[in-house]
Amino acid sequence: MDKLSREEVLHVAHLARISLTEEEIEKFRVQLKVLMDDIDKIKEVKDYDDEMMFTPIEENARLREDVVGDMLTAKEAISNAPKKNGSFIEVPVMINE
Amino acid sequence: MSEFIPTIGLEVHVEIKSKSKLFSSSANSYGMATNTSVNVVDLGYPGTLPTVNKEIIRQGIRACKVLNCNITRKMHFDRKNYFYPDNPKNYQITQNRTPIGTDGYVEIEVDGIKKKIGISDIHIEEDTCKSAHRGSVSLLDFNRAGVPLIEIVTEPCISNGKEAMAYLTKLKELLFYANISDCKMEEGSMRCDANVSISKDENMGTRTETKNISSIHNVGLAIEKEIARQEEVLNNNGIIKEETRRFDDKLGETILMRVKETGNDYRYFIEPDIPYLVITDEFINDSLKTLPLLPDELREKYSKIGLSSLQIEKLINNRPLNDYFLGLLEFKTNYVTAVNLLLSDVSSYLNKHNKVITDTHLSYEKLVSVIDNLESGALSNKNVKDLIDSLMENDLTIEELKKEFKIENITDDRFIEDIITKVIENNTESVNDYKNGHDRALKYLMGQVMKETKGTVNPKKASDMLKEALNK
Repeated sequence: MDKLSREEVLHVAHLARISLTEEEIEKFRVQLKVLMDDIDKIKEVKDYDDEMMFTPIEENARLREDVVGDMLTAKEAISNAPKKNGSFIEVPVMINE
Repeated sequence: MSEFIPTIGLEVHVEIKSKSKLFSSSANSYGMATNTSVNVVDLGYPGTLPTVNKEIIRQGIRACKVLNCNITRKMHFDRKNYFYPDNPKNYQITQNRTPIGTDGYVEIEVDGIKKKIGISDIHIEEDTCKSAHRGSVSLLDFNRAGVPLIEIVTEPCISNGKEAMAYLTKLKELLFYANISDCKMEEGSMRCDANVSISKDENMGTRTETKNISSIHNVGLAIEKEIARQEEVLNNNGIIKEETRRFDDKLGETILMRVKETGNDYRYFIEPDIPYLVITDEFINDSLKTLPLLPDELREKYSKIGLSSLQIEKLINNRPLNDYFLGLLEFKTNYVTAVNLLLSDVSSYLNKHNKVITDTHLSYEKLVSVIDNLESGALSNKNVKDLIDSLMENDLTIEELKKEFKIENITDDRFIEDIITKVIENNTESVNDYKNGHDRALKYLMGQVMKETKGTVNPKKASDMLKEALNK
């Protein structure tokens, strides 16, 4: 069966910042290939251009007036974060990955 | 001499001035308490939708105008996909395929040579949240998330650090005067990335990107250091890798940050949550109505009313003073005298008290009256110096101030003439010395005139009249 290469799967995993087990890599080599074939099928449409798939709405985007609305308190803003530090949300450091 | 030819392109991000953010109605303001200028849109909550701020599109149009760009009439936004904690949606909304402006330029002058720095595009995008790195963790503040930015991308047509600095200085001046941005590099409202490559032939070499350089001066320095580094690598038969670097101003060199994700890895696609945006002529004209005079227009205007180029540059470098002076042009007065006053006594006062001119009581009417008094001789420059605190701090008229400070400069020509005649009669020796070319004698005679009048005459006027009498 047609599959993506190991490297292609690992590249996509890197972009998503996730690590995969050997089993998962094999599974996604098959699954991602199916997805990509489906996308290629869409591109077979005559004169395909993804701008034409973008919106069926002919109307211009409505613009919002420049007015400040309601905001959250710091407590509310960080309430769903798994880790907090004072008023900050705390995450693992990500430089020089 | 180096055989390599450097090619430099700059990407500049500026935060746009507005009340609310680009896609949400949270406040767009600097310096608020951590995570208080935030709503669910900025935090990337599922189910929220972006709504485009009208004022940002207007600001984008103004930026196109001042940077000589074509305005895109039908545009959309795009998603730039990447996983990083500064962006909980996992994509940044930007303009990839239909930037608001294209094909512009900024004219610079370096060592007397003019050059147009081409701008390939300017696009609108949202800022990410601010992350502070603390050992093994990062602390996130979302106040900056969704703050409107324009990114201004030059053609790869800059040849050295000096040109880059001249370009940034001009860009900053234009965007600041057009009220598009504060352009404060120290507060991060203007940020610059420099793409540098070197090559011996027409083909461009592999480029590196040096990110977030903190001042215009450092941009010049970082570029020169990066050129030197690449030359050294190539001279030692090494290869330049496409990578992101940062400039360490203490070490004075660029340092590797990460190997870059390439354009394709961002998997751009059209932002489906925002329909097309069609820009009409009416909207453009309306947006440009509020565009103030730009620095080059001011230079031309000021030079026509007789200001020197030094005065012009000093005024333009001081926005509040410049804006005040523009208002003064509605009044009829001697503008050169006005600028002299503004740049000397008024500026010293403002600097000393750390104030801007709009915080003071120096109304236009009062300034015009000071100038009238100076011209008639009723006030001397020294009087103005003595009066400056009162002029700036209270609402007394000049006449009231003169009374309070007992300034009664006698401008009655007859009175001064009489005194001069008396001084000349009583000091024949000094008069002869003067006539024989001893300039010091004039000073002595002038001293006598001031003594006789107890310092109540306008010194300039008296000195002119004394010279006239002596030369008869």
